Amino acid sequence: MLFLFWLLILIFRFELLLDFAVLTGKYIFLLFTDFNQAIQLLDFSLIDAVLSVALFTCIPIILFFYRKKLDWLQSVINFPALVLILLFLAFCFAPLITNENPDFQKDLKATKLLSPLSSIKVIHLKKEEQNSNSSVANFLINKNKIIKQPFDESIILANKVEISSNEILFTQKDLLKKINLSEVVLVNEKPEIEEKTFILGTDEFGRDIFTRLIYGARISLLVGIGAVLVSLVIGLAIGFIAGFKGGIIDMIFSRITDLFLAFPVIYLIILVLAMFGNSLLSVIFVLGFSGWMSLFKIVKSEVISVKNKDYIISAGLLGVTKFGILIKEILPVIIVPVIVNIIFQFSNVILAESALSYLGLGSGGSYPSWGSMIESGQQYITKAWWMIFFPGLILILTIFSVNDLGKRLNKFFNPAA
Amino acid sequence: MNKDILKALTKRILSSVVTLLLLISFLFILVRLSPGDPTQKFLSPDFSPELKQQVMADFKLDQSLTEQYLNFLANIFQGDFGVSYDYRMPVLSVVWQFLSFTLVFASISFVIQIILSYYFALKSIKKSGRVLGKLLSKTSLVVYATPSFVLGVFLIFIFSAKLDMFPSAGLKSLDFDSFSFFGKLWDYIIHLTLPIVTLSLAGIAMFYKYLRDNLEEVYRQDFILNLRASGFSESTILKKHVLPNAVRPLISVAGIELGILLGGTLITEVIFGLPGMGRLMMASIFSRDYPLVVGCAFAAGLLMIFTNFIADLVKMKMDKRMIKGLMN
Repeated sequence: MLFLFWLLILIFRFELLLDFAVLTGKYIFLLFTDFNQAIQLLDFSLIDAVLSVALFTCIPIILFFYRKKLDWLQSVINFPALVLILLFLAFCFAPLITNENPDFQKDLKATKLLSPLSSIKVIHLKKEEQNSNSSVANFLINKNKIIKQPFDESIILANKVEISSNEILFTQKDLLKKINLSEVVLVNEKPEIEEKTFILGTDEFGRDIFTRLIYGARISLLVGIGAVLVSLVIGLAIGFIAGFKGGIIDMIFSRITDLFLAFPVIYLIILVLAMFGNSLLSVIFVLGFSGWMSLFKIVKSEVISVKNKDYIISAGLLGVTKFGILIKEILPVIIVPVIVNIIFQFSNVILAESALSYLGLGSGGSYPSWGSMIESGQQYITKAWWMIFFPGLILILTIFSVNDLGKRLNKFFNPAA
Repeated sequence: MNKDILKALTKRILSSVVTLLLLISFLFILVRLSPGDPTQKFLSPDFSPELKQQVMADFKLDQSLTEQYLNFLANIFQGDFGVSYDYRMPVLSVVWQFLSFTLVFASISFVIQIILSYYFALKSIKKSGRVLGKLLSKTSLVVYATPSFVLGVFLIFIFSAKLDMFPSAGLKSLDFDSFSFFGKLWDYIIHLTLPIVTLSLAGIAMFYKYLRDNLEEVYRQDFILNLRASGFSESTILKKHVLPNAVRPLISVAGIELGILLGGTLITEVIFGLPGMGRLMMASIFSRDYPLVVGCAFAAGLLMIFTNFIADLVKMKMDKRMIKGLMN
């Protein structure tokens, strides 16, 4: 399965992979020659590209060495598991799966609200070749060529193209334009015109929906993992303290838990985001802070049930610190219900994140989110069904698959229930 | 026994009050922690420091935090949440205007959820193992995984944009006032159909799951076998012995479901542009009307504490063991 994916990517994105590899090599070279400049040039898209290539080359190695251990994967594969694996791959290899920038916009008139599977002609314009001897400038030119930017001045997108003797006629919706042949890249005396297909159509700004969905998976998974980790830490810490100390501390924490459980969580989240502003980090923290209650309850009741057992007391007498007891003695006991809980929490967080971005309080910033895609699609509901259908479908599939995984794990760990 | 009930009741009320106090303290902390100098809403930085001092004194911002907190408490118990910037009215009356719609909306949906999930659960128990039962269970899983806003947008697409059967937003038609009484009623009904379906489906799926699991568990027990062997008819067994046992655990779920419902109304109101508290809160957030935001959040919290209290009362009424549970 993974190998199949690897092969597919290798075949379809071979050039891109090669480019990324060259870029990585150049960057490493730059690191040795001009360290300061190299550090300054480091930005997220570069790291992204380099990491995904590195991971990509690792896949066959991992597959080879762990092939025995991965055998069980083959046996449990079903539809929900497949969805989750694909999502995870989209999370890791977004720049390899789609060779586009999620915010790429050009020639709105031609690309606006295109239906799925519609294609468009790309006319390449001539560029002034910049050549420079300095390795930094050279690297920059190379990088800008390979890593996609949200804008590209060297192409024209058109619905229809006609070539006459010395100029090209092209239409953008109802607008007829022409361009001289001398401005266009020529291959064998003919202008180079590519066809580009939007698998899932485009949105109101002419951006490719497929690309945005792939990048949106990153936001969802990132927020999901981050928020779950935050609530795991809080739930473990508070649950452990309340369980061990008991008495008044336990009572206070239990009341606070009741409060959080009683409060309609979405009001709380919205309130905090409105007060402190919404960014990726604040969304992660707020969602994490609003999800620790069930973990707290599990941890507390388990701690109370084991804290007077002999092995815990003797561990304490032997001088193991409280933290050590938590990690070494108690965590293995509670790990099963905690994991099941975490998985369900994960699906809740993904749901909450998309709802928040639908309401306009999402992580904002540079990445598209599934919720905000649906929100913008709602305005074009009569014209462009694909704008809401695909993000909605992906969202349902994701939540369904995560729930299914949680249920399977639960069944696996306690078959009696 | 009567004394026990009284004691349990007092304890339950006390714990509700403590939760309420915690809620208020939490809101206070949030308001105080939120970035920005509160005086700057009334003063530009160019004004003299003396004026700023005076404003601080007017709003009692120069007092210690505990005094401010006590002030906050006193104001809230007098029903004073400040004045909304947008509406130029006391927050409480604004919230009250919008809350009534949310309450009616949520209760209609709640009733529908209970009735339909009960109906479906019984159907699927009777037809378990057959196509219909399996279909119901699978559908409930998918519906459970569908976020309400996705469902709402899909419904709008199918029934408003394509089939043109229901309006996509709002509560009334433009020419609402010219209708007769039944015309008005009908207008409300067609405007509220899609929102209610959106709000209810997830809840139906959840109740269905719990009810079905409970029913199955009760049916598996020995006393049912005994009753069957004694020759009681299936419908008597269901009505007198299975249902009372299966419904009981559902009530605590209902308490939690009310919270989800309140969150669901917020999103549904935003999708369909309905005049409820959730949309009020979102609108006030985007217009930076903070007193109104806090007021809405407080109202939502209060509503939840109240409904949980009611759910516990019903539980106490139905199950005497609960009273003992509360006492400890």
